[in-house]
This record gives sequence, structure tokens and C-alpha cells, in this order.
Amino acid sequence: MKILLVEDDEQLVELLSQYLSECNYIVDVATDGQTGLNYARTFDYDLLVLDVMLPKLDGIGICRYLRSQHYQMPILLLSALETSHDKISGLDAGADDYVVKPVGVEELLARIRALLRRGRYARPPVLTWERLCLDPATCEATYNDRSLSLTPKEYALLELFLRYPSRVFDRETIIAHLWSLEEPPTENTIRAHVKGLRTKLKAARAPADLIETVYGVGYRLKNADDMTSTPPIANSTMQTQPNSNPTLDAIQQVWSRVKPRALQRVETIERGANAIEDGDNDGDRLLARQEAHRLAGSLGTFGYRYGSQLARQIEALLSKEEPLVEAERRQLWQSLVELRQQLAGDPEPLSIEPPTTMPAPDRRQLLIVDDDTLLTMQIAEDAKTWGLETQVATTVRQARQAIVENPPSLILLDLNFPESDEDGLMLLEDLARNRPEIPAIVLTVRDSFNDRLAVSRLGARAFLQKPLTTTQILETTLEVLQRSNTAAKVLVVDDDVQELALLKALLQPWGLQVETLSEPRQFWRVLEAFTPDLLVLDLEMPDYSGIELCQVVRNEPQWRKLPVLFLTVRTDTDTVNRIFRVGADDYVSKPIAGPELIARLFNRLERTQLLQNLAELDPLTGVSNRRKSSYDITRLLRTCARERRVLSFALLDIDRFKQVNDCHGHAAGDLVLHRFGEVLRESFRPSDVVGRWGGEEFVVAAIDTLKVDGVRRLSEVLGDWRQQTFTLDDDVMLNVTFSAGVAQYPEDGEDLQTLYRAADEALYRAKNAGRDRIFGVST
Amino acid sequence: MTNENRRILIVDDERDIREVTQIVLELEGGWEVVTASSGAEGIAVAVRDRPDAILLDVMMPGMDGLETLKQLRKRPETQSIPVLFLTAKGQGKTPPEWGELGIAAAISKPFDPLKLVPQICSLLNWNRSE
Repeated sequence: MKILLVEDDEQLVELLSQYLSECNYIVDVATDGQTGLNYARTFDYDLLVLDVMLPKLDGIGICRYLRSQHYQMPILLLSALETSHDKISGLDAGADDYVVKPVGVEELLARIRALLRRGRYARPPVLTWERLCLDPATCEATYNDRSLSLTPKEYALLELFLRYPSRVFDRETIIAHLWSLEEPPTENTIRAHVKGLRTKLKAARAPADLIETVYGVGYRLKNADDMTSTPPIANSTMQTQPNSNPTLDAIQQVWSRVKPRALQRVETIERGANAIEDGDNDGDRLLARQEAHRLAGSLGTFGYRYGSQLARQIEALLSKEEPLVEAERRQLWQSLVELRQQLAGDPEPLSIEPPTTMPAPDRRQLLIVDDDTLLTMQIAEDAKTWGLETQVATTVRQARQAIVENPPSLILLDLNFPESDEDGLMLLEDLARNRPEIPAIVLTVRDSFNDRLAVSRLGARAFLQKPLTTTQILETTLEVLQRSNTAAKVLVVDDDVQELALLKALLQPWGLQVETLSEPRQFWRVLEAFTPDLLVLDLEMPDYSGIELCQVVRNEPQWRKLPVLFLTVRTDTDTVNRIFRVGADDYVSKPIAGPELIARLFNRLERTQLLQNLAELDPLTGVSNRRKSSYDITRLLRTCARERRVLSFALLDIDRFKQVNDCHGHAAGDLVLHRFGEVLRESFRPSDVVGRWGGEEFVVAAIDTLKVDGVRRLSEVLGDWRQQTFTLDDDVMLNVTFSAGVAQYPEDGEDLQTLYRAADEALYRAKNAGRDRIFGVST
Repeated sequence: MTNENRRILIVDDERDIREVTQIVLELEGGWEVVTASSGAEGIAVAVRDRPDAILLDVMMPGMDGLETLKQLRKRPETQSIPVLFLTAKGQGKTPPEWGELGIAAAISKPFDPLKLVPQICSLLNWNRSE
């Protein structure tokens, strides 16, 4: 039976652990609440004895937390507080008993026994195996009614075997169950205890091999009747997951043995962290640092990549020469807690494979993942005319298969799959991790901000809200494809040649054009010659540091927008601040986790490309571009349909604009356009949509505005615009007019295309009637 | 040379890493694996077994990876065996003498179990038969 004692009174700890050990209990001790909680969450205890007043986290807090996480072990609270209120709050927090100090040791032990009897397991009061018998209540063991006089460890060992008969216990599992953390056994210790136990069993005339050695694995009780079956290896942590890869399976097996050791390493680190709190014991700190280093170097291989990163952070903190400040100490504990959480979870054996077949650039294949077959058929049909091949998956499962078998150049993904338990977000998550090079567009009826956020975090290139016409969907598709088609150029600067080679090998399979540079002094020349789309800088290099290079880049207007990503061993707040202060966009900590670097890199590339290509504003006029305004108007139309509101849609065209360009030059034309954009922006409400759709053609959509009101408002704008005189360089004065046609939703059309056609027809009449006027669509 | 005949020596003081690396190389690479838990043992095994490549941990108690490598380079039997360093990077820069000692490359820990063999092959320019 294993008991955790969380108590900061050293004398009481010593006294209690002595008594408890004499009663064959195994005792772990934590002297502050935080450590206590960490222990309780990590190891299996049969009972917790908690002091109420503890440093960092009090006993009631621990109790409440554990109960909230459904930990069922009995908890006994020890307290110097005796009011009934304290008792009530303790018991309400989920404690099973409440004992007031000072307390007689005998009474305390009796209460502990009582709690253990009620224990969380419905285990039989007496454990038996053939003629072997052990009574946990009295701590007595017998063979064939002959009493066995066992040492505490022998007793515990026997109890473990009896509790899980016919299971094989490996060394690590035995250690995890029978030894407290302060007394790690040596290689031979267990063997010695087993030998002792065998000797005593033999003395009681038990068969010699009652406790059998399973070579290479561990020990178990031998069943005389059952010699053939191979019992499973007992291990609380092992979870055999259906995994088709034998290597990963084997690694999982190793992990189940390594895990207790890893957890012990975390313990050691925690001791080091505690030592820092208590005024820096260098020995503990050094030990902790070494263990953190080991964990950092191994956890990732077992599938705990984030665990490795955490350990690396911890190592960095413990390696600091100057004493840790408050924030760093908090960070240290935070990382430790997270590390424990990571290790409590299952490893993630997912391996990121570089794409084996890159989609051919000239063959553009669209994968539509949507259970709306009508829509998918329509898209597939229309896609042909755009020169796109399509494949359709109606479930996420089908989609996964299609992605492997026939990697598409783009995925059009619905989020809702009511028939299945997997939704589109899960697929998107996998894509973000495993195939970030395949762009995804999300097409959904969902409209919550949370969904949008989730989707954009997972790197989707666009979020389209249904209903949309297939034309709109395909337009976006082509835009995204165009953007993804050109291989992005990445320049990596790192003085470590080996690392550069690895980075190049890592990045190239993803269709990136990679240039590496190990000599920072040639940086500028290479930068200008290669003109990268993204720059990766090592933070620490001889001659010039990454920080300096980044500064130089940022000072040059041409490169001000170049995304810069840092590689850094140090991720402390100071370093990170320094990195961002010089204008970096992101950083990746070393050692580099391939998937992380790739994801961040694509994310960054995508964002800048978005800025460049998907700019929402027309730079010349300052109003929305066609794409953006179309979306905004479509959205307004949806609102109108839902809430039965009206909208007026106007198409505007500057009169005789070609002549302006021809007679006065394009600069004059640009000036007119620029000013026209300004006037329109000033003339309408923020809720109205103003856009430039090309050349001298503009649109305005105003919600809650009838056609007549739209015509009137535009006539006022036209009146003002006529007053606008442009003074050109050669002292020519120029006045320009415009014409417009106005349509009304829903009367003249229920979607943007129909409204556009109606307004265009009115505009045509206005032009024919002599320009410089506004016509509504005739009803 | 084909893959099946390759023999790799892993030198690492950490049992977990040795074990997991061995599994990966045997199952993924189909290679024969020999292991050593210290630099001195590593040299002895290398002399005895003449592996086709050595994975050598940098940070080991006693004779560290770099010292082990220097010793390997001094002996005619082991002079030309390609060596890959296993390193938990984060210990700073690659020391300049690595190049002179003929280190093929460094593999950083933790490694991705399914990538290790392809990585080794590409670093050593080995063709994979599968």
C-alpha cells in the first residue's frame, strides 16, 4: 500500500513515515502543496494524508482539485484548526476524514487503516493464491497457514503479486509500486528482495518456483495448473493502440518501460526546482538540469514532441547563471506541470511524412469534401470549364484516403458531417500538421466567430459561407491555386553547416526553393540575388547575429515586408522580446521540430501572400476591391433575406474616362480615380459597401435604402462631383461627370449577379440619355 | 552495397536511447545493430565488429563523444568508418574540429523514429534498396 504524505512539519513527517513504514506501508513525502499535487496526479496512491496549512497550495485546494478530476483515493486531512467550520470545508472539499493536530500516532494509524479498509478498490479483504494468503488489514502473510515473517519490502512485493495474480511484473513496474521516490533501488535490489521472499516461502515449504522469473521481462506468481498460457505484461501505463507500424509499436513497448524512469526524472527536476525556491542547492539544480537535458533529447522520439520542448525550456531555465527571477520561477513550475500533463497523456506516434508525390503544377486537381452531393456535382461540372479535375469525398474518411492515394492541389472542405463522428475541423487539423502544402478552403453553413478562428488557426486559405454560387466558389479556388502554385523561395542563414544541410533536406520536399548561407558576411549579396519570399535566421552566429541581420533587412524599404523567422536555442522572455523588437515575425526553438518549422513557415508565407494578393483595398482609390466588395455585398444580401430588408445596388461609371487618359495622360486618369474613390467613401455610411470593380467602374450597395432614395443620394453625390475641378500640370482645368444605374433588392434581383445585370441595364440607358445622370431600374 | 548487410554501432550512455535507436534501425533499416554504453566500450566494439557507420552520442560521462571520435580516428581499423553525432542540440554551436574529424553530420535528439533511417541514408549517401 502506498501512501502520500504531504506535510511541511519535518518532525511530524519523520515520525509518521517511520510508523507507517513499520506497518509495511510505502510512504512518499512532499513538503509543499504543489509538489504534493504533482505526486498525487502522477502516481497511484492508496491514501493521501494532507496537512491543511501548506506552502504554495493548501490541503483543501489539493483535495478539491483531485476530486474535481475524479481521483477517488481516500484523503485524510490533518489540521491544527479545530473549528467545525474548518472541518466542514475540508470534508466538503472531498476529504474522507479530518484529524486535528496534535494527534496521537496510534489514533492516526487507526484512522488510516480504517480509510484503507474502505479503500477505493472493491478488493477482497484477504488475498489468496493457492495456499498463499495475505491479509492487508492485519499485514499478515501465510503459506498453508504457516506464518511468513516478511520484511516490509518482501511483504509489499508479495502483496503486489497477489493483487495481480498471473501477471508478469517488470522491474520498472515493481519500482513504481514499491519504492518511494527518495530511495531509488539499485539494479540488484529487487533481485535481492525476490530472493529473500523465495527463501522465506521455501522455509514455509512452498514450491521453489512459486515466484517465477520470466527471463528478460520480470517476475510473476506461477500457477501450477496453468503452465502454458503466456500472461500479459502488467503495466498500468501501457496502452496497446492499434498501430500498423511495428517500429512504432515496439517503441511504445519500450516507452511503457521507460515511462516510470522518465517520471522519476521529472521528480528530480522538481526537487531541483524546489531547491531553487529554498535558496539554491547547486547540486540538486545541476542534477535537475541533466535530467531535463535527457528528457529533452528523448521524449520527442517516444512521441512527446511538446514534452521535449518543455524539457528544453526547463533545461534552459536551470542553466541560467544568475538566480531566477519570480517570473522565471513561475515559468519553470508551469513547464513542469505541463510536462507532467504531457506524460500523463498518450504519446503521439504520428510521423510527418514529406509528400511522396507532389501534385504536378500543370495538373490541377480539386478534392471536394462535402456530403451535399447536389452541390459537389455542380461544382465538379463547372470546374471542368475552369480546367480543373475533381474528385469527390462525401465523408472525412474517404477524404483521408483520397489525399493519400491521389494528392489534390486543393481541398474544398465542408465542416459539417452529421452522419459521421468526424467533422471537417479534424481533417483540417491533420492537414495542417501533415500536409500543410495542400491548400484548403473551408465551405460551410457555420458562421460563428469560433469556427472562423479555428479554421484560420488551422491555416485554411479561405472561409466561404454557404450558400454561394459555384462561380464564386471556383473563383476563390482559382485564386488560391494561383497563389500556391509558385514555389516560395526561402533563404536560411545559419553558421552551422550541418544544420543547414538538414534544414534544406527538410524543406525541399515541400516544394520550397531553398537557398542556404553559412557565411553571414555574404548576406546582403545573397539576399539581393535570391530575393527570397521568406528569411530564416539563426539567432546566434559569429560576426553578425541574426538580430543584426534582421535590423538591416528591416531598415531597407524594399525588404520591410519580408517575413523573417528566427531559429533560437533560447526562448526566454528577454530573447523573444529582442527577436520581436527588431521586427521578426516568428521564431522556432532549436532543436528544430520539423513539423513545427514547416507549419510556421507555411503559415507565415501564406499570411504575406494574403497581404500581397488578397489585399482587400484597391490601392489607387482606397475603396474595396472587387473580391472584397462582392463578398461584403453577398453578406448584406443574406442579411436582407433573413431580416426582410431592402437594399439598393448602384453601378457607377465615370463618363468619357478613356478621353481623360488619352488627352491628359494616365497620371491624370489616376488622379481622377483616386479622388472619385475619396468622394464615394465620404458620401456613404460605413455600413454601405463601396467597391471598384475595374477600370472606371464602381459599385455602391446601401442596405435599408429604396431605389428612389439611392437615386437621390447618388444625384447629390453627382452634384458635388461636378463641382470638383482638377487642375492638371499644364494648367488645364478638367471637370468629369459620372453616370449610374440603381437596382433594388429584392424587386430587381435576389442575388448579386441579377442585381448587377439590372443596374447595368439602367446604367446603359443613362449613358444613352446623355450621361451625367442617375437612372433607377424601370419597373 | 545493399542495406541488409549493414552493421551500425550505437554509442550512447542512456539505455532508453540505445534501446529505441536499436529498434528503429533494426526494424526500419533492416540493419544489424551493435551497441555500447560508453566511449571506451564503443571503441572496443568498433575495432571488433567493424561497423559500417557509428552513431555517437556527444554528451557522455567519462570519455565524451568528441574524445571517442578522436580515438577512433587514430586507429587504422576504425579510421574511415563514417560517424554521425547524436546531439541534443541546444548545447551551442558545432565545434570547428568536427569537420576536421570527418563527422558526416549530426542527428539531433529527439529524432523522429520513422525518419531516422532515411536521414542516415541520405547523410551517408546510402542507397536504400526498398
